Amino acid sequence: MKEEIANIEKNALEEIKNAKDANSLNEARVKYLGKKGELTTILRGMGTIAQEERPKIGEMVNRVRDNLEEKIVEAEKNIKNKELLEKLTKEKIDVTMPSKKQELGSIHPITKVIDEVKEIFIGLGYKIAEGPEIEFAEYNFDKLNTPAGHPARDIQDTMYITDDILLRSQTSTMQARVMENTKPPIKIICPGTVYRSDSVDATHSPVFHQIEGLVVDRHITMSDLKGTLKVFAQTYLGEDTKIRFRPHHFPFTEPSAEMDVSCFVCKGKGCNVCKGEGWIEILGCGMVHPNVLENCNINSKEYTGFAFGFGVERIAMAKHGIDDMRLLFENDVRFLKQF
Amino acid sequence: MKASIEWLKEYTDINVSNKELAEILTMTGSKVEEIQEKGTDIKNVVVGKILEINKHPDADKLVVTKVNVGNEILQIVTGADNIKVGDIVPIAKNGSELPGGIQIKTGKLRGVESCGMMCSVGELGLSILDYPEQIEHGIMILPKEYELKLGKDIVEILQLKEEIIEFEITPNRPDCLSVEGLGREVAVSLGENYKNPRKNIDEKKTNLKTDIEGLKVDILAPDLCYRYVARAVKNVKIESSPEWLKRRLKACGMRAINNIVDITNYVMLEMGQPMHAFDINSIAGKHIKVRRATDGEKITTLDEQERTLNRENLVIADNEKAVAIAGVMGGLNSEIERNTNTVVFESAVFKGSSVRLTAKEIGLRTEASARYEKGLSPENAMRAINRAVELVTLLNAGEEIEGAIDVYPSKQEKKEIEFIPERINNLLGISLSKKEMEDILTKLDIEVKNGIAIPPYYRMDIEGEADLAEEILRIYGYDKLESTLISAETTLGGKNKEQKLEDALRKLLVNKGFSEIYTYGMLNEKELIKSNIESELLQQAVVLKKPLSEDYTMMRVSTIPSIMQTVAFNYAKKNQDVALFEIGRIYRDEKGSIEKNELPIEESILSISNYGENVDFYTIKGIVENILEVAHVKRYELSSKVERTSYHPGRVAKINVGNDTVAILGEISPIVTNNYNIGTRVYFAEIYVEKLAKYGKADSKYTEIAKFPAEERDIAIVVDELVEVGNIEKIISKKCKKILERVKLFDVYRSEKLGEGKKSVAYSLIFRSNEKTLSDEEISKTMETIVSDLKKELGAELRK
Repeated sequence: MKEEIANIEKNALEEIKNAKDANSLNEARVKYLGKKGELTTILRGMGTIAQEERPKIGEMVNRVRDNLEEKIVEAEKNIKNKELLEKLTKEKIDVTMPSKKQELGSIHPITKVIDEVKEIFIGLGYKIAEGPEIEFAEYNFDKLNTPAGHPARDIQDTMYITDDILLRSQTSTMQARVMENTKPPIKIICPGTVYRSDSVDATHSPVFHQIEGLVVDRHITMSDLKGTLKVFAQTYLGEDTKIRFRPHHFPFTEPSAEMDVSCFVCKGKGCNVCKGEGWIEILGCGMVHPNVLENCNINSKEYTGFAFGFGVERIAMAKHGIDDMRLLFENDVRFLKQF
Repeated sequence: MKASIEWLKEYTDINVSNKELAEILTMTGSKVEEIQEKGTDIKNVVVGKILEINKHPDADKLVVTKVNVGNEILQIVTGADNIKVGDIVPIAKNGSELPGGIQIKTGKLRGVESCGMMCSVGELGLSILDYPEQIEHGIMILPKEYELKLGKDIVEILQLKEEIIEFEITPNRPDCLSVEGLGREVAVSLGENYKNPRKNIDEKKTNLKTDIEGLKVDILAPDLCYRYVARAVKNVKIESSPEWLKRRLKACGMRAINNIVDITNYVMLEMGQPMHAFDINSIAGKHIKVRRATDGEKITTLDEQERTLNRENLVIADNEKAVAIAGVMGGLNSEIERNTNTVVFESAVFKGSSVRLTAKEIGLRTEASARYEKGLSPENAMRAINRAVELVTLLNAGEEIEGAIDVYPSKQEKKEIEFIPERINNLLGISLSKKEMEDILTKLDIEVKNGIAIPPYYRMDIEGEADLAEEILRIYGYDKLESTLISAETTLGGKNKEQKLEDALRKLLVNKGFSEIYTYGMLNEKELIKSNIESELLQQAVVLKKPLSEDYTMMRVSTIPSIMQTVAFNYAKKNQDVALFEIGRIYRDEKGSIEKNELPIEESILSISNYGENVDFYTIKGIVENILEVAHVKRYELSSKVERTSYHPGRVAKINVGNDTVAILGEISPIVTNNYNIGTRVYFAEIYVEKLAKYGKADSKYTEIAKFPAEERDIAIVVDELVEVGNIEKIISKKCKKILERVKLFDVYRSEKLGEGKKSVAYSLIFRSNEKTLSDEEISKTMETIVSDLKKELGAELRK
């Protein structure tokens, strides 16, 4: 009897193994485990087996049945997977066909410069200040030590709305606005749009952008200004950037300086961008003029400060090798998408 | 300001190369723009004398000459026809170089050997304007006396070697608009001695008189004229100036005219004091009056232009008429002429801003006005006039008349500035000793005594401690300034809510395929009209007082025109699928603020514009919804009740929070797109960024995720075509907000069966309660209420 069962198991396993498809597997199942299957028949015939043998035989049959069932499930799965694989092979696609990606847009180079500069100064503890573009002449000039009669106030350079209201010609207006309303310590960056009476050409635009920086506190020195701008230049333009301060004149700072950076295109060797000088003039700066502090109700004997400002377009143009400012305001998408 | 090295050397020794000098001066504040080294590009060109001129055997237009160049006789073939035997001419010998890199070598011209070339003025890189006696297309004929210099280098003979430095002078340093001022800067920058060549003038005592040769001077506008000095010279011989003087004028970019005029210009260049010279006989009544012009007063200036003046302009006048526009230009009526015998020199100081405005008004900016407008020191006036008279004597151009008239109503005060070295060190972040600082100040002619610093008369720009600090630092060296970081209270940096929102919006839009643009906030009225902007809005435009061009006359009240220009530009360039955005301002004078001397409203607008395949109203609507999500604006309503004429009347919507409109979106009116020659539908949205920031609020607390099962029901109703689905949704959710989780439109259907002007709208509704499992009965009851409400409010019928 035991031999018979063992034989059935052996044969059945053989057939399961050899089953090529779902049908032949099913046939094997019916043949051995079906109602009239070989193994079922044995179970049914248990009555004819000696009493003491029954548990052992029963146990054996059950074990074999479980094993066969398990193997059938396994085989079924294998067959299915094989069939699926065949189907999948036929589903091959051309992976080199174009994707369905959504086109990305782009950030304007002006914003890029402003954003990068903002991030650097936020890291240094500066806040961002913004203010009106249509401004009182008082904030654009008077409070900034540029009294009536000063050449900078000419209608040729500045666009006026009335005698007292104008389109700000510099973001320095924010110096006066912030100082007037804030107790030191003041540490701000003011990016913004400014206006000058310039005709549009490759290097001029009546509308352009500036970033102004202002720090006012006790014990602020000109060395601090230099140190701050060095950190800025090296973060923004690269660690190997050198800076140079040259004396200059602005009405609202004293002492004043212009800052050059070693040319970030040729690294100081001399090229088109730096006109062979190895240096590029990038900003004006200086210690806040005592008159400006006093005009904004800050005691110049107690507090000192520094300020700096630069044109965004010029930096964007130098950085990206853009040779015509008009490109920045024409907004041709073929230009914009390059950034 | 230009100056030649040769002239500067009169003031100080210069023992460095031109390049080093330029660098040193740039670092002390006189930025060098350019160094010109003239004459270095001419090599091996010598003086020659023509000995013979013979016909060329094979060419009618050429001649064969023999030229003596000192040590040899050269055969030179030339096509020139202005030469004759005996002429002294410049000869470029074999192996010579001419400006522009031209090299001359021996060669054959039509078979005859030519060992060099005779040069024209132009070929030597010179201007015919400087050699008016020469002809432009011919050989330069040199003066006979050069016969003694045959074979000598032409650069030496014509003194063509000239090293000129051009400085950028900042407006606070009018003293450096003179060779003398630059000389002082060079000396102090190089650490050399300043040799004052005008010592005799500085020490001269001048007798003051009330009249000279019957001439009187009165200043009638002392607010505009700080000092007026007059001196005279007689028996004047008007002729051309000596070469050295002409050369210096030329180096500084001025042309020689005659000895008297040249002297006035020379003194201006040398000492920075503009001068004027009159013929004494042209001054009616011999009475000079410095007065304001009368409105409409006319004067013809030296350039033969008639100028109309007003009472803000200052003139130099006599008893009858204006003879000069003060500080700008002299009048033709008092010009120095050949027969002038007695010349009156004027050395005056006028108010800078007045001269500047006058020069601007009449459109005539001269060397004189450019100096005056920066504010000159009255103390320089007497020195300058004495120098002019000295030059007249030196040049043998006339005889000095002793004494001067000096009208000096507002004497320049000496400024006293508190000098506290410690404060200067603290301001700059340096540590110089008192002695070191004093040494620098002394070199700069700034007198220091008892803690007080007194700047010299010519440094009117030094007014306070900060100015002293700058003087000390620029001589000590800006490059010696250390780089330190602020050692002060730590401050918290960062962006405010609106600035952060702008960043988030930019990020969203870039991810959605939109490219950021920058357009001008200025435009003209035509553009607003082209974009169909409502006239009420147009009236709020802020208008420029004096526009630069017709294109930009006012500030924009809407971003549509400037962005439509950009869209049109891209369309014309055949760019497809254009998606643009801008965060920019609009400016509205809503309440007549400008008139009340208040500032107008400035609003930050996020503008979005999109055209292309598969772009429609719902594309832009989707973007706007995304924007509202990013801004965390949750409770808003969309409505089609918008009256904005720039948009398609049937395809425009606004988004409100309460009564406040935060966005407008829609299709740009085809009337507008036609105006811009855009042949496709353009979609647009205007979002008010400040309002978005105001109404946006991110949830800080989480909402529990639903536990109970959801029930889905569908409903299809038939309504009039004009009923907006938004309205249907509102009615559906009105009474069951608590249990209605979602309303989803899944079908809109029209057919003949439904009838004309009808549509069927189908929704799937998802019900769910936070408290319990909803029963069938409850949901059915709710559905009944919904159906009856729809019927009641919209006349909707259930679709069968």
